[in-house]
Amino acid sequence: MMGETEAVEIDDILDDWFIESLKSYKDLHVYQLEHPTQIIEWTSGKTVCVAGYSSGKNEILELRLPLKLLADEKKGLCAERDFKVVHGGFSEGPVCCLRHIPGTRCAVTNDGLNSDLQLWDLGADDTDVIRKTGSLPGTSVSQTGSRIAARLSSSPEVLHGAQSSAVQLTQLGTGQTLYRLEVDSTEPLSSLKFVSETAFLASCCDGTVYLADTRTSAPPQASPPPGECTLWWTDASAGPQCRVIRLSSSGQAVVSDLRNMGGAVCRAQLDVQTSPRKPEDVTVAWAPALDGCFSVSGLSGLVQIYDTAGWRAEPQDASPLFQHAGHSVSSQHGDGSAPIFITTHVWHPERPRTLLSAASDGSVHVWDWVDPQTN
Amino acid sequence: MTCMKRIFSKTRRITVGRLVGVTLTSGRCFHAELVRTESSGLPIVHHSKYVCDLPANHRFPMAKFPRVLHCLLQDQVITERQVWVPEIASKDLLGAVHTEDYLNNFISGRINEQEQRRTGFPWSEGIVRRCRYETGGTVLAAEVALQRGLACSTAGGTHHAFPSYGSGFCLLNDLAVAAKYLMNSSSRKRKVLIVDLDVHQGDGTAFIFKDEPSVFTFSVHCGKNFPVRKQQSDLDISVEDGLEDKEYLSTVAEHLPWLLETFRPDLLLYDAGVDPHWEDELGRLRLTDQGLYQRDHYVMKTVVKRGIPIATVIGGGYSRDINKLALRHSIVHRAATQVWRECGM
Repeated sequence: MMGETEAVEIDDILDDWFIESLKSYKDLHVYQLEHPTQIIEWTSGKTVCVAGYSSGKNEILELRLPLKLLADEKKGLCAERDFKVVHGGFSEGPVCCLRHIPGTRCAVTNDGLNSDLQLWDLGADDTDVIRKTGSLPGTSVSQTGSRIAARLSSSPEVLHGAQSSAVQLTQLGTGQTLYRLEVDSTEPLSSLKFVSETAFLASCCDGTVYLADTRTSAPPQASPPPGECTLWWTDASAGPQCRVIRLSSSGQAVVSDLRNMGGAVCRAQLDVQTSPRKPEDVTVAWAPALDGCFSVSGLSGLVQIYDTAGWRAEPQDASPLFQHAGHSVSSQHGDGSAPIFITTHVWHPERPRTLLSAASDGSVHVWDWVDPQTN
Repeated sequence: MTCMKRIFSKTRRITVGRLVGVTLTSGRCFHAELVRTESSGLPIVHHSKYVCDLPANHRFPMAKFPRVLHCLLQDQVITERQVWVPEIASKDLLGAVHTEDYLNNFISGRINEQEQRRTGFPWSEGIVRRCRYETGGTVLAAEVALQRGLACSTAGGTHHAFPSYGSGFCLLNDLAVAAKYLMNSSSRKRKVLIVDLDVHQGDGTAFIFKDEPSVFTFSVHCGKNFPVRKQQSDLDISVEDGLEDKEYLSTVAEHLPWLLETFRPDLLLYDAGVDPHWEDELGRLRLTDQGLYQRDHYVMKTVVKRGIPIATVIGGGYSRDINKLALRHSIVHRAATQVWRECGM
């Protein structure tokens, strides 16, 4: 039983953090979902999808961001400070991966238990229902879930697979396989991402990265793990100078140029407070609109932003530029329950310092942080 | 006679022109650099030193104080002749509420990092000075209200300050200092009712007067807003997010008349915070400009009609559009001007 003193102390911590947050954030909006989500996926500049991951039935929700956040100059016109549910539906199983097909109102999901995919219609203005429209059989017998990638194309297509040996590009309308990645290794994938209209990175949990092109059946360029560790996460930045970051569960961060994956542009050692063990424990993402910055969640109870500007070839300890502690601060229970963890986070595609993050207690935050160096 | 000496000895700050018309009525004197006893208009209390410099991009809308006055003058709601100028609050005045240690540390800049963080302000001599002037302004407004019936400061409402520490942009508790001083400044102890309609609970004030029967603290606030850790006012009304004009006004109307009837205050201090407004960045209620005006008019008219003196402070408001915010804060002064007229004051 939590004593009164403890309750008061927790309240104090919350109040302290609130005052602190006025300085460290330009905006901060907090939302509480009934059930936690493991995915946050942009479906437009103003909307995201979230979904439950419990073993039974789960909700899939499309949320609109607080208008007050998006308004900028015209903030005065927008009273709405909350997320608004604009569309919703139900999934029979957990949703571990959800990808929006750009240019459509379609989404593709995977339940993390095998490599089958479910197809969804996110709904239009005339309905608030997200409904399942079909499914795609998986490409392999797998106990890990599939990763999914999509990019804008003339006909809706999805790149998916649970292992490096079973990645394929499937046309949604016909179910036709347009491309298969020719790799023998059956290493589980940590991510799949398009780096151009036809080129993509298939990143494995062991740190191996394959760079391939859907136009050619030639074998992909393989890049071995950049260090001694058995669990890695990868992200590739957008834009002409594509940088790839690989992060290990021990906190080793290696940045390479896409065209020279064998070498490392720079390295650093990040501080690890938790011990991530599963692929879904950690999210690492380049900032779409902040050169050289990336974010990571899962190494501690916070979302951390790093700036690689000062990083060198020789690995050195790196400190975060900014840390979002909102989820851990507001989840103090004192009742012996497990500490909460960040399940996922994403950057806003255009606003340089806006992110969304979700935690295991069902909280979803959208925050626009102030660069401490300009304060 | 000591009063006369106090006013006339400040010849550095008061020009000869302003001395014309200074009268002393019934031996009352004011903690003022400039009195306006010759003016028959609504007394407004303002000091140019209500502001200080803050680091660029600081979240506290410091510039609002002079802008409130400016927009009232520009819109010809008031004239300069109505503006009383307060003295800086002395250590003695402050010491009736704040601890000696805190005051010494506060004035000399020995507030540690952690304490500063909780206040939201980096310490500076400027911030000390402006807080003291602001507190002096609330004291003066209360003094003038006792004499004229109604007076409005263009600042004030720093209700999160506790005796030994500051919090939430509040470093000194102006309402508490004013209440304490006025409570004791007459031969018979005065009863003071503090009506705090800022969207955040007046926790500092509640704490300071929890054992003082002569001061009644009444706070209407949004439950989910800061502070999470609430104190216990004499009457707390915690309202739900999203409350709109009609329900909010009826909540105030439900309690104010019976409070006045049963407590029978000799003075009312009114925190007219505008952060219940729907555009406020921190507040979670949905009042409109009209709603705020109706609220302020209702409170002041109800109190004045019962012959109870009332002094108002502007309370909290958070918006990055300073002009809009200043205009919003000036609603209480406009409503007061209307009440002044309606009640033939």
